[in-house]
Parts: sequence; structure tokens; C-alpha cells
Amino acid sequence: MNDKSTWEFGTRQVVYGAIGAALYGVLSWASNFVPLPAAGNVTFRPAVAVLIFFGVAYGPWVGFLAGVIGNTLGDALSGWGFYWNWSLGNGLMGLVAGLAMAAISDFRAQKDIIKAVGWGIAGVAVGMLFASLTEMFVGGIDINTALVGYFTPAFIGNTVVTAILVPILMIAFAAVASRRGR
Amino acid sequence: MLVTWKYRPRNTFIQRLDPRTRLIFMFSIILALTVPEIWDFRIILPLFFLSLTLYLMARIEWKDVRRVWIFIFILVIFIVGLNGLLSGRGGPSSVTNLPSPVLFNVPIKIPFTDIGWDVPITVSKTWFALTQITRMFTMTLLAIPIPYTIDPNIYGTAFRRMGASDKVSFTMDLAFRFLPTFARDFIITMDAQRARGYEIEKLNGGIPERLRKLAPFIIPVVMQSTVTGEEVIDAMDLRAFGTAPRTWLKQLTYALRDYFILGLGFAIFVACCVLKWGFGFGGYFVPEFFSNWILGL
Repeated sequence: MNDKSTWEFGTRQVVYGAIGAALYGVLSWASNFVPLPAAGNVTFRPAVAVLIFFGVAYGPWVGFLAGVIGNTLGDALSGWGFYWNWSLGNGLMGLVAGLAMAAISDFRAQKDIIKAVGWGIAGVAVGMLFASLTEMFVGGIDINTALVGYFTPAFIGNTVVTAILVPILMIAFAAVASRRGR
Repeated sequence: MLVTWKYRPRNTFIQRLDPRTRLIFMFSIILALTVPEIWDFRIILPLFFLSLTLYLMARIEWKDVRRVWIFIFILVIFIVGLNGLLSGRGGPSSVTNLPSPVLFNVPIKIPFTDIGWDVPITVSKTWFALTQITRMFTMTLLAIPIPYTIDPNIYGTAFRRMGASDKVSFTMDLAFRFLPTFARDFIITMDAQRARGYEIEKLNGGIPERLRKLAPFIIPVVMQSTVTGEEVIDAMDLRAFGTAPRTWLKQLTYALRDYFILGLGFAIFVACCVLKWGFGFGGYFVPEFFSNWILGL
């Protein structure tokens, strides 16, 4: 899992990191105009599936950069401001999901899809936990608010999105990759 | 252009500052309040007014930020403030540990059961909620103007000059360039799917079903972008990207005003640390005037 290709940082990672970030930013922005399902205080952000997919397909650095820069772009585009801890949390979400890359050989195979979704959910847990807990220092909230008010809704919403949309993205990607031959 | 940045050039002091100065100053204030854990209103209030002054100096039009402020007000006042008022947690232990007069009790009952209890609202919790709201606004006032006042084309250069590697900075720069293209692709895809009878406004079914129905909107753009990526990689490799340090078209230089703001940010951070750790000044307490005022109501 920690072989050279997993942690390599070359032209491919720079370009796909930028593409992942731009897609994540645009889709976060587009969420303002597309009616998305919500339940209670849980909102579902389809952009998260794109971030997890880029991590799984291109590795942890791409996932990390797409998360950090993409969240910053999405916030900037929507005019929310700059919240470093949530951007870093999104980066960690992509980085952990990217650890699945070395374990995946066939994007169509059921066991590989399960691995990708599993690592994706682990990424969601790590990233959202980081962002929620750092909010205790940045925003001065207590641990109950961090876990119940911030982490739980973010974790549930992002997990559902990952479980539903990442397999669809992987199957579509398998078809594109086989046509392209690399 | 189908996606527009919130940025607009304005001839203001804030926009004349180097973007690095803006980011470093914001971090200095966040660290000054959080690292030495400042909860004293005599420090927080001047910093709040400093942030407010800088925010107003940015001259951002109200119609641009109205939606953002509504969201921030709901978050800070109703979620953070109300939580502070009811629980008193999220700050120093002295908020709830030290004896404080009870103003009134809020009865809380678990629905459909007889289980319930009274939550006392004390003078200390009330002052804490006000302090916490002010503390959060102090930091938010510095964060909100950033997308409105920093040119999107200089983020990459700014991060490079702040110590990020060429590759990371170039990723950021490239992302800014890709963004309008992908936004256009999303809108074209949405229009194309609508022409085929796909009504994004009328997604129905359960949550999994509705999320699954978003796939025709997302998949084409994501897959097309992976193909575009390969072409860009080939073009960059042909130009020997990453084989030697690169130069950047846009240059950033600090002016005297930048040194002043950077010095101010550094001085505030050092002063907060020295006051708290050196003199024990800056911790939480309820001022007498507030206790007298609220108990006299």
C-alpha cells in the first residue's frame, strides 16, 4: 500500500489534483442550485463522491489536494469565506480514500468496489472528525456540539453519498479507461 | 462566463494589501485567540472592533454577502450561542464550575416520556454565550471578505511565495483555470439531459433513489474531465514540467502597509500569549457591571 506509485507526486498528480479540486468546487457550488435531498439536519453533498472517486482512482495526494483546494474553491465561489480546518478535513477525506488505490485493480469488480467504498467511508470519518474536533479550538464549541451537531450529520450524509455514487463513478470510469487504454 | 467569482476589484486599502498579508494576519488573530485560550472581553472586544473595521474597509456590498451573513448568524447565534447559554460548555471550566446566580430554569423533557429536568441559566453562562458569539464573529469577519477581495489569479502565486512547493501551487493555479470550463460543462450537461426529459428539479423517490438519479448529471462531466486530464498531462510532460524549478508570471512584493499589518498581527499574537501565560490575564470571568445589570432586570 505504501509503494512508490501510491505516494508518487508528479505531473499526473498535479493535473488530476487540479481537476478533482475544480470539479469538487464546481459541484459544491452547483449544489446551491440543484434541489438535493435532506433529512433533518443531514444534507447530502454529491460532490463528496467525486472527491472520494478521485482519491481512489489517482491516489492519496490527488485526494488530498482535490479536497483541500476544492473545498477552498467551493467556499470561495459561494462566498462563504476561508475555513482552513474544514478544507484540511476535506483533504484528509480524499487522502484516506486514496489509500485504496494500490488495492484496486479492476474498477468493475465487486470486491474492489467494496474496498473503495470502505476506504471512502473511513476517509469521511477521519476528515469530518478532524474538522469537527478542530472546531472546538477554532470556534470554542464543546465536544458534544462537535460530535452531535457537526460530525454526525456530516458523516451520515457523506457516507450515504459515497455508498451510492462512488460505485456508479467506478463502473463508468472502467469503461472510459478501457476505451482509452491507460 | 457561466461561473463568476465573487471577487470584484475595488480601490480599497484592503485590496491593496498583499494576499499573503491578509492570510497571515487572519491566522495570527485566530491563533492569538485560540492558542492562549483568550476569553476575556477586554481583549476580545478590541479585536472584534479591529476585525469589524477591516471588514468595513473592504467595502463589500451588502447584497453580495446577505445570504452568507444570514447563514453565519443562524450558526453562531442559534447553534453556538444557544448551546453556550444552555450548557455553558465549549469554553473554560470556570463557566460552570464557579458558583453563579441562577436567572431562570429551562425545563427540558424527553418527548413521550415523563423524564425531564431543569437546566439552570446562570449569569456566568449568559456572559459566556455573549463572549463566545463575539469571539466567533471576530474570526468570521476576517474570513468572509477573502473570496470577495483576493484576485483568484494570485492564489497560486501567494501560496508559492508562502512556502508551498511549485507543484502544489501549480495545482491550485490550474484548478482556478479549470473551474469555469467545468462549470460550463455541468450546465451544458444539465441542459442536454433536460432536452432528453431528465427533470433535475423534480427528483422523487427515497434518498438513495434521488441520489442515484443525479448520476446522469455528474457522470458525463467527471468522465470527460478524466479524458481532458490525460491530454493536459501529455502537454505538460512535453514541456518538461517538474524537471526544474519554475518561474511565476505574477510577482508579489510586500509594501510598507503590508509590514505594518504583518507586524500588527504578530504583535497581537505575542501580546495575547504574554498576557495569558506571563501575567495570567485573559482568562474567563464575569464582569461586575454585567452581573449588576442582569440581576437588576
